[in-house]
Amino acid sequence: MRHVYLDHAATTPMRSEVREAMDPYLSDTFGNPSSLHRWGRKASAALEEARAIAAKALGSQPGEIFFTRGGTESDNLAVLGRCRAISVEGGVPTLAISAVEHRAVYDTARWADSREEVRLVILQVHLDGTIDLDPLRVALKDGPTVVSVMWVNNEIGLLLPVPEIATLVEEFGGTFHTDAVQAIGKVPVSTTYPGIRLLTATAHKIYGPRGTGLLYVREGTEIAPLLYGGGQEGALRPGTEDVAGAIGFATALRLAVEEQAEEAMRLGALRDAFENRVLAQIDDVRINAGRARRSPSISSLGIDGADGGLLLNALDLEGVASSGGSACASGSSAASHVISALFGPDDTKATVRFSMGRNSSEADVSRAVAVLAEVVERVRGLEEVS
Amino acid sequence: MSRVLVAMSGGVDSSVAAALLVDAGHEVVGVTMKTFCYSDTPAHSKTCCGLDGILDAKRVADALGISHYVFDVEEDFTRDVIDDFVSEYAEGRTPNPCVNCNSNTKFKDLLARGRALGCDQIASGHYVRIEHGPAGSSLRRGLDPDKDQSYFLWAMPRSLLPKLLFPVGELTKSAVRAHARELALITADKPESQEICFVPSGNYRDLLAKRLSPVHPALQPGPIVRRSGEVVGEHNGYASFTVGQRKGLRGGFSEPMFVLRIRAPEREVVVGTRDELFEDVVDIGGLNWLGEPPAAGERVNAQLRYRDPAVPAIVTRIDDSLTLELAEPRIAVTPGQSAVLFDDDARVFGGGRIVAASTRTKRVATGC
Repeated sequence: MRHVYLDHAATTPMRSEVREAMDPYLSDTFGNPSSLHRWGRKASAALEEARAIAAKALGSQPGEIFFTRGGTESDNLAVLGRCRAISVEGGVPTLAISAVEHRAVYDTARWADSREEVRLVILQVHLDGTIDLDPLRVALKDGPTVVSVMWVNNEIGLLLPVPEIATLVEEFGGTFHTDAVQAIGKVPVSTTYPGIRLLTATAHKIYGPRGTGLLYVREGTEIAPLLYGGGQEGALRPGTEDVAGAIGFATALRLAVEEQAEEAMRLGALRDAFENRVLAQIDDVRINAGRARRSPSISSLGIDGADGGLLLNALDLEGVASSGGSACASGSSAASHVISALFGPDDTKATVRFSMGRNSSEADVSRAVAVLAEVVERVRGLEEVS
Repeated sequence: MSRVLVAMSGGVDSSVAAALLVDAGHEVVGVTMKTFCYSDTPAHSKTCCGLDGILDAKRVADALGISHYVFDVEEDFTRDVIDDFVSEYAEGRTPNPCVNCNSNTKFKDLLARGRALGCDQIASGHYVRIEHGPAGSSLRRGLDPDKDQSYFLWAMPRSLLPKLLFPVGELTKSAVRAHARELALITADKPESQEICFVPSGNYRDLLAKRLSPVHPALQPGPIVRRSGEVVGEHNGYASFTVGQRKGLRGGFSEPMFVLRIRAPEREVVVGTRDELFEDVVDIGGLNWLGEPPAAGERVNAQLRYRDPAVPAIVTRIDDSLTLELAEPRIAVTPGQSAVLFDDDARVFGGGRIVAASTRTKRVATGC
């Protein structure tokens, strides 16, 4: 059976350049960057080189890059860390997030709201990618406000107007954070846009290692750490640094940014070919946010009259890897907050997300559509299963 | 070979069923049904939502190199099995929830979803044998008389039989365990589950108290009476009683007293001596046939509770329900329990639920 991996938004295989760049730091150059001896110095030099490479790829300064252990950690650090830095000066900040944020922001914000650490404002997102900004303006005028809007949505690939919102937030003196995890390598991402003060990125979505992320913190932006310890990463993320991970991430990030324009064209063509085949071969399928500006790598389908869980099982059995919405939510039968926010709570379509990557080919998408057409027919044929 | 879906509970029997199917060359798909949540189990506990079983099944599937999925059937299970269990007790009967689960929820649902996954057949780790022949498929007792589970499968739609496989039905329990050990399956020495799966404490009264209104008659005090109507005591809710039960009957009787009947409308628990527990006429309703229905006058073998031997009986009447006359009286024939009918070759040809029991002599005496 031909196996087709179309779940690159969940995670990606490490590319060989990354593995090769990491290799020396997994064996010979093993020192602790904080040590004062030659082993330590070598490790420290490598870490700072990684920081410089990452900074350059994002258009920032090395001193603004803080390595973390992943996207979820960076999101938590940005949102909670900034809000806590504000509350130290007194008062409860407003935290405004889009309705389609990843759970690393969404659940963190709701938790902070329930603890009365913040006043939460959720900004409605429309299917064309626009966001209701009036509640944001009200919040911004009202007092210190932290805003978190993702660059590309992980479940349906929707591109959100990050540069525009960042500018608006900056004008009013608020702090803007963006989760750019799904955007890097897919759309142009840069920290040079006015107003982007905090930005989350992670390695494993761009062919880098699992467990390494970063938070960009613009010079002059105060944030409080979530962890306390040895003072590494400017005391924002203490703990002995993962040098190999940082080198791997920096390499992956540099390549992703270098190749972005060309890869986006190729992925976009592949995704369009996929969607055209889907529409031609399967009835009653909706391309989620199909008319909006989207990531070139993600195609999210809304399929009528089918059980989503079974569809994913059946696709897997025929060798096609996909996700229902996000990989994190699979296994749960509740509709995702993203789908509910965009299509209303009563949307009954099954959501299946296909996400193409570097190794995906025309043959892959054509096989995937053939399998999808077959299993959709089978799953739809099922007599009433609750 | 064909693609077969195997229901894996995370126990040793279904683990070995899956292994045997893999050995036979089938493409095997493991499925665990998530049936209910123990609401009083702390959320962080591994046993919440039967997670333990799901994880064990996943590990076995992984060791066997097969796919494994979880089907969430909580809603159906609650409606068809738990709600029915509660309402049967509320009406003074003693239900077999496993019969309902197998016939209404498990196999029907697995077959429907299995089809969507491209599976031609459905298998489980039940100790029963199935024979697929030109004349149709028939269900027989499992080879291991101590483990036979045919009593729980009589209520399945007959149309499902041709699709079913029961690989461990041909084995003894000890052979199943030995096979699991040989394959080093992590479930090899897992203890048997004895209790009703959704009553892990074994105390079903807590479940009734939770799901019935606190003022439900089944939970209110009522009289304990003799057959004659003489009141001999008070009970604290007839839902706690089942026919044949001795425990919990206080009061200075000269000989041990047993529950003979529960008269729900009167909230009465009728008690009597052990001798009074024996009955030989059984009315059975809710019939289902896995083979040809018997005719009036035909001799069958009837099993009236799990782990009871089948006794010879004559079908004296049959339409939507039937009446059996047992060759010898049986103790504690209990309304709500299944009556499963076998031929002389241990084939299940059908069954029903016990509605009422009486004795021939008494019938004559009361002119019924």
